[in-house]
Parts: sequence; structure tokens; C-alpha cells
Amino acid sequence: MTRKTSTSDFLKQLVGRPVVVKLNSGLDYRGVLSCLDGYMNIALEQTEEYVNGQLKNKYGDAFIRGNNVLYISTVKRRV
Amino acid sequence: MSTLLPLELIDKCIGSRIHIIMKNDKELVGTLLGFDDYVNMVLEDVTEYENSSDGRRVTKLDQIILNGSNITMMVPGGDIPDS
Amino acid sequence: MAEEAENQSAPCVMNEPLDMVRLSLDERIYVKMRNERELRGRLHAYDQHLNMVLGDVEETVTSVEIDEETFEEVYKTSRRSIPMLFVRGDGVILVSPPSRPTM
Repeated sequence: MTRKTSTSDFLKQLVGRPVVVKLNSGLDYRGVLSCLDGYMNIALEQTEEYVNGQLKNKYGDAFIRGNNVLYISTVKRRV
Repeated sequence: MSTLLPLELIDKCIGSRIHIIMKNDKELVGTLLGFDDYVNMVLEDVTEYENSSDGRRVTKLDQIILNGSNITMMVPGGDIPDS
Repeated sequence: MAEEAENQSAPCVMNEPLDMVRLSLDERIYVKMRNERELRGRLHAYDQHLNMVLGDVEETVTSVEIDEETFEEVYKTSRRSIPMLFVRGDGVILVSPPSRPTM
């Protein structure tokens, strides 16, 4: 028997943790998730922007509009 | 036999491997942990396949929430049909 | 869905992502837009769609051209100043308080 994880529970778990946010355009953002909402709008801290795996920019804080988000992933380790 | 509604099919896949095809030719394979009415999905042990002009790029991910708005198809079972 | 007032470690007033934008009101912000557009300007107002009114804006547009002989990608940027600008939210990718882009 498998237990169902609701999407909102998963989103709540992510707050305060380091995450990777991938956009539909292919850009990756790594940072600490400070909060998010049901549209997948995201506020990140210590944000790093990666293009094709290469660090391109750093932002102290960043707001990402949810419609651009492909997925939000947990990170086990920083590569 | 009664008909299976689309979201009931997805519900049956919870706990098993699924294959997702995105609108922009990305594909993902992973274990479905949950989903909602927008077909946003929580997935575990995910492999992401990006097909581009210079070959296929593969990314392994632990747990993700996938935005449903760019999903185009979902295939039960975790096999990549072609490749 | 975003209403849970979880007790966060930081004592800051962020319950939802748009609070980050609210805290940037009257500040100069950086906006990354679709189609390779970037804006730097003062945030006068915004709404729930992230439509925004920006003042004293510098717009940077980056385009890529392929050199016909070497086939190298050539990045071209053009800049212009706009005193007052309405931005429709659906074109926005990212908003950040400006001081920080370091590279």
C-alpha cells in the first residue's frame, strides 16, 4: 500500500530547504526556498542562476513567477 | 467494464513508475507520489531527458514537484518507448 | 494554499512570494523578462499578476546573431532609458532587488 503525497504537503516540506528550480526555458536556479504559493510563484534566497550548467549570475533574493517553472527539486548534495 | 476517468488513471499510477512527455520535447521518468487537480505531480527518483540538437542530456533528481501546465502526456510504466 | 502562517526561523514578514516584491516597493529592482529583455528601475506599484509600474527604467535587450563567415554566435545588447513603464506580469521571469547581480 502506497501513501499518497499531496502536492501542497510536498510544497510545504520544501520551505527553508535548498532547492533547484528549473524553468521551461532551461534555466536553473539554485537557492534556499523562503516561500512559495499555489501558483508556484517562488521566493528564493542566495540565488544562483545557471545556464547550461554554468553559473551566470547571483541574486541575494529573487522572486520567480510560477508560470515559468518546470519543476522544483530537492537537492541531496551540491554538485 | 466501467470507463476510467483520466485522473483515475493517474491515481492508479501512484506508487509506480511513470513516463511523462512535456510540451517542449522534454521527458521525465519517475515514481509518482501524488498529484492534484492541475496535474501538478510529486515524483521521486526522477530521470529527466532533454532532447536537443546536440544529443540527449540526462539529469537525475531526488524528489520534484512538476508543474502540470506543460505536461502533454503520461504513460504508465517507466520505459522510454523509443531510444 | 499559501495561507499557512508557519513559524519561520527568520523574523521577517514573508508569508507569500509576492511579499518579496512588496518589500521592494520604491526600491530599484532588476527584472528578467522573456525574450532576453532585462529592466532596471524603481518599483512604483505592482499587483497580484505581477503587472508593474517602473520608473527611471534602463532596458537592456540582448540578441544573438550568427556570424555568416565564422558561424560564431555574436551577442548584441542594446540599451535605452524609459521614464515610466507599465510591465505586464505574464512576461516576467524573475524579480530581484537590484544591488546584487555580481557577475
